[in-house]
Amino acid sequence: MRRGILHAGLALAAAALALHLAGVAHAQSSLGIGTNDAMPTTTGLFAHQLAWINLKQQESYRALAGTMKAMRQDGSKLWVLIGLSFLYGIFHAAGPGHGKAVISSYMVANEVALRRGILLSFISAFLQAVTAIAVMLLAFFVLRGTAVSMTDAAWFLEIASYVFVTAFGAWLLWRKLRPLVVRLFGTAPAYSLSAAQAGPGRAEATTAGRGMVRARLNHPDASPALAFECGQDHAPGTVCADCGHSHIPDPAMLSGDPFDWRTAWSAVAAVGIRPCSGALIVLSFAFLNGLWTGGILSVLAMSVGTAITVAILATLAVTAKDWAVWFAGDGRLGNRVHAVIEIGGAALVFLFGLALLSASLAA
Amino acid sequence: MIPSTFLLRLAMALAALLATSGAASAHPHVFAEARLDVVLSPDHQSVKALRHLWRFDELFSSTVLMQFDKNSDLKLDDAELKDVADTIFSSLAEYDYFQLVTVDGKDVHMNAPSQVMTNFDNDQLIVLFESEPATPIKLAGTIEFGVYDPTFYTAIDFTEDANMAVEGLPPTCTRKVIRPDPDTAIAQNQKTLTDAFFNDPTGTDMSKIFATKLELTCKP
Repeated sequence: MRRGILHAGLALAAAALALHLAGVAHAQSSLGIGTNDAMPTTTGLFAHQLAWINLKQQESYRALAGTMKAMRQDGSKLWVLIGLSFLYGIFHAAGPGHGKAVISSYMVANEVALRRGILLSFISAFLQAVTAIAVMLLAFFVLRGTAVSMTDAAWFLEIASYVFVTAFGAWLLWRKLRPLVVRLFGTAPAYSLSAAQAGPGRAEATTAGRGMVRARLNHPDASPALAFECGQDHAPGTVCADCGHSHIPDPAMLSGDPFDWRTAWSAVAAVGIRPCSGALIVLSFAFLNGLWTGGILSVLAMSVGTAITVAILATLAVTAKDWAVWFAGDGRLGNRVHAVIEIGGAALVFLFGLALLSASLAA
Repeated sequence: MIPSTFLLRLAMALAALLATSGAASAHPHVFAEARLDVVLSPDHQSVKALRHLWRFDELFSSTVLMQFDKNSDLKLDDAELKDVADTIFSSLAEYDYFQLVTVDGKDVHMNAPSQVMTNFDNDQLIVLFESEPATPIKLAGTIEFGVYDPTFYTAIDFTEDANMAVEGLPPTCTRKVIRPDPDTAIAQNQKTLTDAFFNDPTGTDMSKIFATKLELTCKP
Protein backbone atom coordinates (compact mmCIF):
# COMPACT_ATOMS: atom_id res chain seq x y z
CA MET A 1 0.00 0.00 0.00
CA ARG A 2 2.87 2.27 0.72
CA ARG A 3 3.95 1.85 -2.85
CA GLY A 4 0.67 3.43 -3.89
CA ILE A 5 1.47 6.50 -1.85
CA LEU A 6 4.95 6.51 -3.17
CA HIS A 7 3.61 6.39 -6.69
CA ALA A 8 1.15 9.17 -6.06
CA GLY A 9 3.96 11.25 -4.64
CA LEU A 10 6.23 10.46 -7.53
CA ALA A 11 3.56 11.33 -10.04
CA LEU A 12 2.97 14.67 -8.38
CA ALA A 13 6.69 15.30 -8.25
CA ALA A 14 6.87 14.51 -11.95
CA ALA A 15 4.05 16.92 -12.62
CA ALA A 16 5.81 19.55 -10.59
CA LEU A 17 8.99 18.95 -12.55
CA ALA A 18 7.13 19.19 -15.82
CA LEU A 19 5.65 22.47 -14.68
CA HIS A 20 9.00 23.73 -13.60
CA LEU A 21 10.60 22.94 -16.92
CA ALA A 22 7.66 24.28 -18.83
CA GLY A 23 8.13 27.56 -17.05
CA VAL A 24 11.68 27.98 -18.29
CA ALA A 25 10.70 30.19 -21.14
CA HIS A 26 10.66 33.81 -21.98
CA ALA A 27 7.88 35.69 -20.38
CA GLN A 28 8.64 38.95 -22.10
CA SER A 29 7.99 39.03 -25.76
CA SER A 30 10.29 38.24 -28.64
CA LEU A 31 9.58 41.60 -30.26
CA GLY A 32 10.35 43.53 -27.09
CA ILE A 33 6.94 45.18 -27.27
CA GLY A 34 4.17 43.82 -25.08
CA THR A 35 4.48 40.72 -22.94
CA ASN A 36 4.03 37.17 -24.09
CA ASP A 37 1.68 34.90 -22.20
CA ALA A 38 4.58 32.63 -21.24
CA MET A 39 5.48 29.07 -21.88
CA PRO A 40 5.81 28.02 -25.48
CA THR A 41 6.73 24.47 -24.55
CA THR A 42 4.57 22.24 -26.63
CA THR A 43 6.21 18.87 -26.65
CA GLY A 44 5.27 16.00 -24.46
CA LEU A 45 2.37 13.82 -23.65
CA PHE A 46 -0.41 16.25 -24.43
CA ALA A 47 0.99 17.75 -27.60
CA HIS A 48 -2.02 16.82 -29.67
CA GLN A 49 -4.64 18.26 -27.33
CA LEU A 50 -2.58 21.37 -26.81
CA ALA A 51 -2.12 21.84 -30.52
CA TRP A 52 -5.87 21.68 -30.97
CA ILE A 53 -6.39 24.25 -28.22
CA ASN A 54 -3.71 26.39 -29.77
CA LEU A 55 -5.45 26.26 -33.13
CA LYS A 56 -8.77 27.27 -31.56
CA GLN A 57 -7.07 30.10 -29.68
CA GLN A 58 -5.60 31.42 -32.88
CA GLU A 59 -8.87 31.14 -34.75
CA SER A 60 -10.88 32.88 -32.06
CA TYR A 61 -8.27 35.59 -31.58
CA ARG A 62 -8.08 36.28 -35.30
CA ALA A 63 -11.86 36.43 -35.53
CA LEU A 64 -11.94 38.73 -32.52
CA ALA A 65 -9.31 41.02 -34.03
CA GLY A 66 -11.20 41.08 -37.32
CA THR A 67 -14.47 42.03 -35.63
CA MET A 68 -12.74 44.73 -33.62
CA LYS A 69 -11.54 46.30 -36.87
CA ALA A 70 -14.99 45.98 -38.43
CA MET A 71 -16.47 47.76 -35.38
CA ARG A 72 -14.89 51.00 -36.55
CA GLN A 73 -17.31 51.16 -39.45
CA ASP A 74 -20.20 49.14 -38.07
CA GLY A 75 -21.19 49.52 -34.43
CA SER A 76 -23.84 46.83 -34.71
CA LYS A 77 -21.10 44.20 -34.51
CA LEU A 78 -20.99 44.68 -30.73
CA TRP A 79 -22.78 41.42 -29.93
CA VAL A 80 -20.60 39.49 -32.34
CA LEU A 81 -17.60 41.00 -30.59
CA ILE A 82 -18.89 40.03 -27.16
CA GLY A 83 -19.61 36.48 -28.31
CA LEU A 84 -16.19 36.06 -29.86
CA SER A 85 -14.48 37.54 -26.80
CA PHE A 86 -16.32 35.01 -24.66
CA LEU A 87 -15.17 32.12 -26.88
CA TYR A 88 -11.65 33.48 -26.90
CA GLY A 89 -11.71 33.59 -23.10
CA ILE A 90 -12.73 29.93 -22.93
CA PHE A 91 -9.97 28.73 -25.26
CA HIS A 92 -7.44 31.14 -23.93
CA ALA A 93 -7.72 29.80 -20.40
CA ALA A 94 -7.50 26.22 -21.64
CA GLY A 95 -4.05 26.96 -22.98
CA PRO A 96 -1.40 29.00 -21.27
CA GLY A 97 -1.60 30.95 -18.10
CA HIS A 98 -0.95 30.66 -14.45
CA GLY A 99 -4.48 31.38 -13.32
CA LYS A 100 -5.96 27.93 -13.46
CA ALA A 101 -2.78 26.28 -12.18
CA VAL A 102 -2.79 28.45 -9.09
CA ILE A 103 -6.52 28.22 -8.45
CA SER A 104 -6.64 24.44 -9.05
CA SER A 105 -3.59 23.75 -6.90
CA TYR A 106 -4.91 26.01 -4.19
CA MET A 107 -8.20 24.13 -4.20
CA VAL A 108 -6.40 20.78 -4.14
CA ALA A 109 -4.22 21.92 -1.26
CA ASN A 110 -7.19 23.12 0.74
CA GLU A 111 -10.59 21.84 1.55
CA VAL A 112 -12.53 24.32 -0.48
CA ALA A 113 -16.15 23.74 -1.34
CA LEU A 114 -16.53 23.52 -5.10
CA ARG A 115 -19.09 26.28 -5.16
CA ARG A 116 -16.63 28.62 -3.51
CA GLY A 117 -13.85 27.48 -5.80
CA ILE A 118 -15.98 28.37 -8.77
CA LEU A 119 -16.70 31.75 -7.23
CA LEU A 120 -12.95 32.28 -6.79
CA SER A 121 -12.38 31.45 -10.45
CA PHE A 122 -14.86 34.12 -11.44
CA ILE A 123 -13.52 36.75 -9.06
CA SER A 124 -9.92 36.23 -10.18
CA ALA A 125 -10.83 36.35 -13.86
CA PHE A 126 -12.88 39.48 -13.28
CA LEU A 127 -10.02 41.09 -11.38
CA GLN A 128 -7.74 40.29 -14.30
CA ALA A 129 -10.11 42.09 -16.65
CA VAL A 130 -10.31 45.08 -14.33
CA THR A 131 -6.50 45.22 -14.10
CA ALA A 132 -6.22 45.17 -17.89
CA ILE A 133 -8.74 48.01 -18.19
CA ALA A 134 -7.01 50.02 -15.46
CA VAL A 135 -3.56 49.55 -17.04
CA MET A 136 -4.87 50.60 -20.42
CA LEU A 137 -6.68 53.66 -19.08
CA LEU A 138 -3.47 54.60 -17.31
CA ALA A 139 -1.44 54.02 -20.45
CA PHE A 140 -3.86 56.06 -22.53
CA PHE A 141 -4.36 59.04 -20.25
CA VAL A 142 -1.30 59.16 -18.02
CA LEU A 143 1.65 57.20 -19.33
CA ARG A 144 1.56 58.48 -22.90
CA GLY A 145 4.36 60.96 -23.30
CA THR A 146 6.20 59.72 -20.22
CA ALA A 147 9.26 57.53 -19.97
CA VAL A 148 7.23 54.69 -18.47
CA SER A 149 6.02 52.42 -21.22
CA MET A 150 3.03 50.16 -21.18
CA THR A 151 5.35 47.18 -21.56
CA ASP A 152 7.10 48.29 -18.36
CA ALA A 153 3.82 48.60 -16.49
CA ALA A 154 2.58 45.21 -17.68
CA TRP A 155 5.93 43.66 -16.89
CA PHE A 156 5.93 45.12 -13.39
CA LEU A 157 2.48 43.68 -12.70
CA GLU A 158 3.59 40.35 -14.11
CA ILE A 159 6.59 40.18 -11.79
CA ALA A 160 4.44 41.29 -8.86
CA SER A 161 1.94 38.56 -9.67
CA TYR A 162 4.64 35.87 -9.84
CA VAL A 163 6.19 37.07 -6.57
CA PHE A 164 2.75 36.79 -4.99
CA VAL A 165 2.22 33.31 -6.41
CA THR A 166 5.62 32.15 -5.13
CA ALA A 167 5.12 33.65 -1.69
CA PHE A 168 1.60 32.28 -1.53
CA GLY A 169 2.85 28.82 -2.50
CA ALA A 170 5.64 28.95 0.08
CA TRP A 171 3.19 29.98 2.77
CA LEU A 172 0.71 27.27 1.76
CA LEU A 173 3.48 24.69 1.75
CA TRP A 174 4.73 25.79 5.15
CA ARG A 175 1.25 25.56 6.57
CA LYS A 176 0.88 22.03 5.22
CA LEU A 177 4.33 20.88 6.27
CA ARG A 178 4.58 22.52 9.68
CA PRO A 179 2.53 19.87 11.51
CA LEU A 180 4.76 17.19 9.98
CA VAL A 181 7.86 18.99 11.14
CA VAL A 182 6.38 19.46 14.58
CA ARG A 183 5.43 15.79 14.72
CA LEU A 184 8.90 14.70 13.72
CA PHE A 185 10.90 16.98 15.95
CA GLY A 186 8.56 18.45 18.48
CA THR A 187 6.50 17.29 21.38
CA ALA A 188 3.17 18.57 20.16
CA PRO A 189 0.52 15.89 19.78
CA ALA A 190 0.17 14.49 16.32
CA TYR A 191 -2.94 15.50 14.52
CA SER A 192 -4.12 15.44 10.99
CA LEU A 193 -3.39 18.59 9.14
CA SER A 194 -6.14 17.94 6.72
CA ALA A 195 -9.20 20.00 7.29
CA ALA A 196 -11.34 17.02 6.37
CA GLN A 197 -10.29 15.29 9.57
CA ALA A 198 -12.16 16.58 12.52
CA GLY A 199 -9.45 16.74 15.10
CA PRO A 200 -10.03 16.51 18.81
CA GLY A 201 -9.24 20.17 19.20
CA ARG A 202 -11.93 21.22 16.81
CA ALA A 203 -14.51 23.59 18.09
CA GLU A 204 -16.85 26.11 16.71
CA ALA A 205 -16.77 29.68 17.79
CA THR A 206 -19.60 31.85 16.76
CA THR A 207 -18.75 35.44 17.27
CA ALA A 208 -21.15 37.63 19.07
CA GLY A 209 -23.47 39.50 16.79
CA ARG A 210 -21.82 37.98 13.74
CA GLY A 211 -23.48 34.67 13.49
CA MET A 212 -22.54 34.47 9.86
CA VAL A 213 -18.84 34.35 10.56
CA ARG A 214 -17.99 30.94 11.82
CA ALA A 215 -14.53 30.07 12.83
CA ARG A 216 -13.90 26.39 12.77
CA LEU A 217 -10.86 25.67 14.83
CA ASN A 218 -9.12 22.40 14.50
CA HIS A 219 -5.87 23.85 15.64
CA PRO A 220 -5.07 22.46 19.05
CA ASP A 221 -2.88 25.43 19.93
CA ALA A 222 -5.61 27.93 19.29
CA SER A 223 -7.79 27.92 22.31
CA PRO A 224 -11.38 27.33 21.36
CA ALA A 225 -12.23 29.64 24.20
CA LEU A 226 -10.31 32.51 22.67
CA ALA A 227 -13.39 34.16 21.34
CA PHE A 228 -15.20 33.71 24.59
CA GLU A 229 -12.51 34.15 27.18
CA CYS A 230 -13.40 37.74 27.87
CA GLY A 231 -17.05 37.07 28.21
CA GLN A 232 -20.07 38.08 26.21
CA ASP A 233 -20.87 41.33 27.97
CA HIS A 234 -20.01 43.82 25.30
CA ALA A 235 -21.46 45.08 22.08
CA PRO A 236 -21.06 43.04 18.94
CA GLY A 237 -18.08 43.91 16.81
CA THR A 238 -16.33 45.95 19.46
CA VAL A 239 -12.91 45.18 20.78
CA CYS A 240 -12.95 43.56 24.15
CA ALA A 241 -11.12 45.73 26.64
CA ASP A 242 -9.84 42.83 28.68
CA CYS A 243 -8.07 40.84 26.04
CA GLY A 244 -7.74 43.27 23.18
CA HIS A 245 -9.23 40.84 20.70
CA SER A 246 -11.71 41.98 18.20
CA HIS A 247 -14.64 39.68 17.96
CA ILE A 248 -14.14 39.24 14.31
CA PRO A 249 -12.04 36.08 14.21
CA ASP A 250 -8.38 36.82 13.89
CA PRO A 251 -7.10 35.49 10.56
CA ALA A 252 -4.44 33.46 12.36
CA MET A 253 -7.22 31.62 14.17
CA LEU A 254 -8.72 30.70 10.87
CA SER A 255 -5.66 28.88 9.58
CA GLY A 256 -7.38 25.55 9.94
CA ASP A 257 -10.63 26.83 8.61
CA PRO A 258 -12.28 24.85 5.82
CA PHE A 259 -12.65 28.13 4.05
CA ASP A 260 -10.38 30.99 4.80
CA TRP A 261 -11.22 34.18 2.95
CA ARG A 262 -7.83 35.71 3.56
CA THR A 263 -6.10 32.79 1.84
CA ALA A 264 -8.67 32.86 -0.91
CA TRP A 265 -8.13 36.56 -1.53
CA SER A 266 -4.38 36.01 -1.71
CA ALA A 267 -4.94 33.42 -4.42
CA VAL A 268 -7.31 35.72 -6.27
CA ALA A 269 -4.96 38.71 -6.05
CA ALA A 270 -1.91 36.70 -7.05
CA VAL A 271 -3.70 35.60 -10.19
CA GLY A 272 -5.67 38.73 -10.93
CA ILE A 273 -3.06 41.47 -10.94
CA ARG A 274 -1.40 40.19 -14.09
CA PRO A 275 -3.31 41.49 -17.11
CA CYS A 276 -3.38 39.18 -20.09
CA SER A 277 -1.69 40.52 -23.19
CA GLY A 278 -4.57 39.67 -25.50
CA ALA A 279 -6.81 41.93 -23.45
CA LEU A 280 -4.24 44.73 -23.48
CA ILE A 281 -3.84 44.61 -27.24
CA VAL A 282 -7.58 44.58 -27.86
CA LEU A 283 -8.06 47.48 -25.45
CA SER A 284 -5.32 49.64 -26.93
CA PHE A 285 -6.88 49.31 -30.36
CA ALA A 286 -10.36 49.95 -28.96
CA PHE A 287 -9.32 53.07 -27.04
CA LEU A 288 -7.32 54.55 -29.90
CA ASN A 289 -10.35 54.14 -32.15
CA GLY A 290 -12.81 55.45 -29.60
CA LEU A 291 -14.53 52.07 -29.16
CA TRP A 292 -14.75 52.47 -25.38
CA THR A 293 -17.83 50.35 -24.75
CA GLY A 294 -16.77 47.67 -27.20
CA GLY A 295 -13.30 47.35 -25.71
CA ILE A 296 -14.43 47.15 -22.11
CA LEU A 297 -17.31 44.76 -22.80
CA SER A 298 -15.02 42.59 -24.89
CA VAL A 299 -12.51 42.23 -22.05
CA LEU A 300 -15.26 41.53 -19.53
CA ALA A 301 -16.73 38.86 -21.83
CA MET A 302 -13.26 37.34 -22.12
CA SER A 303 -13.04 37.12 -18.35
CA VAL A 304 -16.37 35.27 -18.14
CA GLY A 305 -15.10 32.72 -20.67
CA THR A 306 -11.81 32.38 -18.81
CA ALA A 307 -13.59 31.90 -15.50
CA ILE A 308 -15.71 29.07 -16.91
CA THR A 309 -12.66 27.15 -18.12
CA VAL A 310 -10.72 27.73 -14.90
CA ALA A 311 -13.74 26.62 -12.86
CA ILE A 312 -14.08 23.42 -14.91
CA LEU A 313 -10.41 22.56 -14.57
CA ALA A 314 -10.37 23.32 -10.86
CA THR A 315 -13.46 21.14 -10.42
CA LEU A 316 -11.73 18.29 -12.24
CA ALA A 317 -8.66 18.62 -10.04
CA VAL A 318 -10.67 18.58 -6.84
CA THR A 319 -12.84 15.69 -8.03
CA ALA A 320 -9.74 13.65 -8.88
CA LYS A 321 -8.38 14.34 -5.43
CA ASP A 322 -11.63 13.34 -3.76
CA TRP A 323 -11.68 10.08 -5.71
CA ALA A 324 -8.12 9.26 -4.75
CA VAL A 325 -8.91 9.88 -1.09
CA TRP A 326 -12.18 7.99 -1.29
CA PHE A 327 -10.57 4.94 -2.90
CA ALA A 328 -7.81 4.95 -0.34
CA GLY A 329 -10.44 4.65 2.36
CA ASP A 330 -10.86 6.17 5.78
CA GLY A 331 -7.87 4.67 7.47
CA ARG A 332 -4.29 5.77 7.76
CA LEU A 333 -3.77 5.27 4.05
CA GLY A 334 -6.59 7.65 3.25
CA ASN A 335 -5.11 10.25 5.54
CA ARG A 336 -1.73 9.86 3.97
CA VAL A 337 -2.99 10.06 0.41
CA HIS A 338 -4.90 13.14 1.44
CA ALA A 339 -1.85 14.71 3.05
CA VAL A 340 0.43 13.87 0.14
CA ILE A 341 -1.99 15.35 -2.38
CA GLU A 342 -2.47 18.50 -0.33
CA ILE A 343 1.25 19.00 0.15
CA GLY A 344 1.75 18.27 -3.54
CA GLY A 345 -0.81 20.93 -4.43
CA ALA A 346 0.91 23.50 -2.23
CA ALA A 347 4.30 22.51 -3.66
CA LEU A 348 2.94 22.98 -7.18
CA VAL A 349 1.85 26.55 -6.47
CA PHE A 350 5.28 27.31 -5.04
CA LEU A 351 7.27 25.71 -7.87
CA PHE A 352 4.99 27.24 -10.46
CA GLY A 353 5.51 30.73 -9.06
CA LEU A 354 9.25 30.16 -8.83
CA ALA A 355 9.49 28.93 -12.41
CA LEU A 356 7.46 31.84 -13.79
CA LEU A 357 9.36 34.34 -11.73
CA SER A 358 12.79 33.09 -12.72
CA ALA A 359 11.74 32.98 -16.36
CA SER A 360 10.43 36.54 -16.23
CA LEU A 361 13.48 37.90 -14.50
CA ALA A 362 15.83 36.09 -16.85
CA ALA A 363 14.05 37.39 -19.93
CA MET B 1 -7.33 -3.13 -0.08
CA ILE B 2 -7.03 -1.26 -3.31
CA PRO B 3 -4.38 -2.34 -5.79
CA SER B 4 -1.61 0.19 -5.88
CA THR B 5 -1.74 0.23 -9.67
CA PHE B 6 -5.17 1.77 -9.39
CA LEU B 7 -3.91 4.48 -7.07
CA LEU B 8 -1.04 5.01 -9.42
CA ARG B 9 -3.42 5.49 -12.32
CA LEU B 10 -5.45 8.00 -10.35
CA ALA B 11 -2.35 9.83 -9.30
CA MET B 12 -1.16 9.93 -12.88
CA ALA B 13 -4.48 11.35 -14.01
CA LEU B 14 -4.22 14.10 -11.45
CA ALA B 15 -0.59 14.72 -12.29
CA ALA B 16 -1.50 14.88 -15.95
CA LEU B 17 -4.18 17.43 -15.31
CA LEU B 18 -1.95 19.61 -13.22
CA ALA B 19 0.95 19.27 -15.60
CA THR B 20 -1.28 20.28 -18.48
CA SER B 21 -2.32 23.39 -16.69
CA GLY B 22 1.26 24.55 -16.78
CA ALA B 23 2.89 23.08 -19.81
CA ALA B 24 0.70 24.83 -22.25
CA SER B 25 1.21 26.52 -25.52
CA ALA B 26 1.03 30.24 -25.81
CA HIS B 27 -0.64 31.55 -28.90
CA PRO B 28 0.23 34.43 -31.16
CA HIS B 29 -0.95 37.82 -30.05
CA VAL B 30 0.69 39.55 -32.95
CA PHE B 31 0.17 38.88 -36.62
CA ALA B 32 2.37 40.02 -39.42
CA GLU B 33 1.85 39.62 -43.14
CA ALA B 34 5.29 38.81 -44.36
CA ARG B 35 7.26 38.85 -47.54
CA LEU B 36 10.61 37.16 -47.96
CA ASP B 37 12.91 37.92 -50.87
CA VAL B 38 15.83 35.59 -51.32
CA VAL B 39 18.54 37.66 -52.96
CA LEU B 40 20.98 35.74 -55.14
CA SER B 41 24.55 36.65 -55.96
CA PRO B 42 25.11 38.37 -59.35
CA ASP B 43 26.11 35.03 -60.92
CA HIS B 44 22.89 33.43 -59.59
CA GLN B 45 24.85 30.58 -58.03
CA SER B 46 24.51 31.34 -54.34
CA VAL B 47 22.24 33.03 -51.81
CA LYS B 48 23.55 36.42 -50.81
CA ALA B 49 20.90 37.73 -48.45
CA LEU B 50 17.38 37.38 -47.10
CA ARG B 51 15.22 40.48 -47.28
CA HIS B 52 12.28 40.57 -44.87
CA LEU B 53 9.22 42.76 -44.86
CA TRP B 54 6.63 42.40 -42.11
CA ARG B 55 3.38 44.31 -42.07
CA PHE B 56 1.89 44.04 -38.58
CA ASP B 57 -1.81 43.84 -37.80
CA GLU B 58 -3.67 46.96 -36.74
CA LEU B 59 -4.32 45.79 -33.20
CA PHE B 60 -0.69 45.25 -32.36
CA SER B 61 0.24 48.37 -34.32
CA SER B 62 -2.07 50.40 -32.09
CA THR B 63 -0.23 49.04 -29.02
CA VAL B 64 3.04 50.16 -30.59
CA LEU B 65 1.59 53.59 -31.35
CA MET B 66 0.30 54.00 -27.82
CA GLN B 67 3.57 52.95 -26.28
CA PHE B 68 6.05 54.87 -28.43
CA ASP B 69 4.10 58.07 -29.08
CA LYS B 70 6.20 60.17 -26.68
CA ASN B 71 4.79 63.52 -27.75
CA SER B 72 1.18 62.29 -27.71
CA ASP B 73 0.32 63.47 -31.19
CA LEU B 74 -1.07 60.05 -32.17
CA LYS B 75 1.58 59.77 -34.85
CA LEU B 76 4.99 58.14 -34.82
CA ASP B 77 7.59 60.59 -36.09
CA ASP B 78 11.09 59.60 -37.18
CA ALA B 79 12.64 59.65 -33.71
CA GLU B 80 9.78 57.57 -32.29
CA LEU B 81 9.99 55.12 -35.18
CA LYS B 82 13.70 54.76 -34.49
CA ASP B 83 12.88 53.80 -30.89
CA VAL B 84 10.55 51.10 -32.18
CA ALA B 85 13.23 49.85 -34.58
CA ASP B 86 15.87 49.76 -31.85
CA THR B 87 13.60 47.86 -29.48
CA ILE B 88 12.70 45.26 -32.10
CA PHE B 89 16.29 45.02 -33.34
CA SER B 90 17.70 44.23 -29.91
CA SER B 91 14.89 41.84 -28.99
CA LEU B 92 15.06 39.84 -32.21
CA ALA B 93 18.79 39.24 -31.77
CA GLU B 94 18.03 36.62 -29.16
CA TYR B 95 15.84 34.73 -31.61
CA ASP B 96 18.10 34.80 -34.70
CA TYR B 97 15.77 37.38 -36.23
CA PHE B 98 13.13 34.67 -36.60
CA GLN B 99 15.16 32.99 -39.33
CA LEU B 100 15.94 29.33 -39.72
CA VAL B 101 18.00 28.37 -42.75
CA THR B 102 19.15 24.83 -43.39
CA VAL B 103 21.15 23.18 -46.17
CA ASP B 104 20.43 19.46 -46.42
CA GLY B 105 19.08 19.60 -42.89
CA LYS B 106 22.08 21.41 -41.38
CA ASP B 107 21.68 24.84 -39.82
CA VAL B 108 23.29 27.77 -41.55
CA HIS B 109 24.48 30.66 -39.44
CA MET B 110 22.97 34.00 -40.43
CA ASN B 111 24.63 37.30 -39.59
CA ALA B 112 22.72 39.96 -37.71
CA PRO B 113 21.22 42.61 -39.99
CA SER B 114 23.01 45.94 -39.96
CA GLN B 115 19.78 47.67 -39.04
CA VAL B 116 16.03 47.31 -38.75
CA MET B 117 13.87 49.87 -40.52
CA THR B 118 10.38 50.75 -39.36
CA ASN B 119 7.54 52.67 -40.87
CA PHE B 120 3.90 53.36 -40.09
CA ASP B 121 1.55 53.08 -43.01
CA ASN B 122 -2.23 52.99 -42.95
CA ASP B 123 -2.29 52.33 -39.17
CA GLN B 124 0.09 49.42 -39.61
CA LEU B 125 3.63 49.01 -38.41
CA ILE B 126 6.05 47.90 -41.10
CA VAL B 127 9.41 46.34 -40.32
CA LEU B 128 12.15 45.80 -42.87
CA PHE B 129 15.57 44.23 -42.56
CA GLU B 130 18.14 42.28 -44.49
CA SER B 131 20.26 39.46 -43.16
CA GLU B 132 23.19 37.73 -44.85
CA PRO B 133 24.50 34.23 -44.33
CA ALA B 134 27.91 34.07 -42.66
CA THR B 135 29.22 32.50 -45.85
CA PRO B 136 27.28 32.59 -49.14
CA ILE B 137 25.03 29.55 -49.54
CA LYS B 138 25.79 27.62 -52.75
CA LEU B 139 22.69 26.68 -54.68
CA ALA B 140 23.07 22.91 -54.28
CA GLY B 141 21.06 20.24 -52.52
CA THR B 142 18.00 21.16 -50.48
CA ILE B 143 17.91 24.62 -48.96
CA GLU B 144 15.11 25.54 -46.58
CA PHE B 145 14.15 28.99 -45.39
CA GLY B 146 11.82 29.29 -42.44
CA VAL B 147 10.64 32.55 -40.90
CA TYR B 148 8.86 32.15 -37.59
CA ASP B 149 8.83 33.27 -33.99
CA PRO B 150 10.05 30.39 -31.81
CA THR B 151 8.18 31.85 -28.84
CA PHE B 152 4.80 31.76 -30.61
CA TYR B 153 4.21 35.42 -29.78
CA THR B 154 4.19 36.61 -33.36
CA ALA B 155 2.57 34.77 -36.22
CA ILE B 156 4.53 35.48 -39.38
CA ASP B 157 2.04 34.81 -42.15
CA PHE B 158 2.97 34.32 -45.76
CA THR B 159 -0.52 34.65 -47.17
CA GLU B 160 0.47 33.76 -50.73
CA ASP B 161 3.17 31.50 -52.06
CA ALA B 162 4.41 34.40 -54.17
CA ASN B 163 5.37 36.18 -50.94
CA MET B 164 8.36 33.89 -50.63
CA ALA B 165 10.21 34.89 -53.75
CA VAL B 166 13.52 34.22 -55.40
CA GLU B 167 14.52 36.55 -58.24
CA GLY B 168 16.40 34.87 -61.11
CA LEU B 169 16.42 31.30 -59.85
CA PRO B 170 18.46 29.15 -62.26
CA PRO B 171 16.51 26.41 -64.11
CA THR B 172 18.44 23.68 -62.26
CA CYS B 173 16.55 24.64 -59.11
CA THR B 174 12.92 24.14 -58.14
CA ARG B 175 11.13 26.34 -55.67
CA LYS B 176 8.40 25.04 -53.36
CA VAL B 177 6.47 26.66 -50.54
CA ILE B 178 5.65 24.18 -47.78
CA ARG B 179 2.67 24.84 -45.53
CA PRO B 180 2.38 22.12 -42.93
CA ASP B 181 -1.15 21.20 -41.96
CA PRO B 182 -1.19 21.44 -38.13
CA ASP B 183 -3.05 18.14 -37.61
CA THR B 184 -0.82 16.17 -39.97
CA ALA B 185 2.29 17.79 -38.58
CA ILE B 186 1.34 16.79 -35.06
CA ALA B 187 0.36 13.27 -36.07
CA GLN B 188 3.63 12.81 -37.94
CA ASN B 189 5.63 14.20 -35.11
CA GLN B 190 3.73 12.66 -32.21
CA LYS B 191 6.32 9.99 -31.58
CA THR B 192 9.28 12.28 -32.12
CA LEU B 193 7.67 14.87 -29.90
CA THR B 194 7.10 12.37 -27.13
CA ASP B 195 10.63 11.01 -27.43
CA ALA B 196 12.03 14.50 -27.58
CA PHE B 197 10.16 15.36 -24.42
CA PHE B 198 11.88 12.58 -22.49
CA ASN B 199 15.29 13.11 -24.05
CA ASP B 200 15.24 16.85 -23.90
CA PRO B 201 12.52 18.12 -21.61
CA THR B 202 13.34 21.74 -22.36
CA GLY B 203 11.49 21.05 -25.55
CA THR B 204 11.66 21.34 -29.26
CA ASP B 205 9.37 24.09 -30.27
CA MET B 206 6.32 23.34 -32.27
CA SER B 207 6.46 26.63 -34.15
CA LYS B 208 9.29 25.05 -36.14
CA ILE B 209 7.01 22.24 -37.27
CA PHE B 210 4.22 24.63 -38.17
CA ALA B 211 6.29 27.29 -39.90
CA THR B 212 5.72 27.99 -43.56
CA LYS B 213 8.94 27.23 -45.38
CA LEU B 214 10.49 27.98 -48.72
CA GLU B 215 12.32 24.99 -50.12
CA LEU B 216 14.80 25.22 -52.96
CA THR B 217 16.01 21.97 -54.48
CA CYS B 218 18.94 22.30 -56.83
CA LYS B 219 20.57 19.69 -59.01
CA PRO B 220 24.33 19.90 -59.07
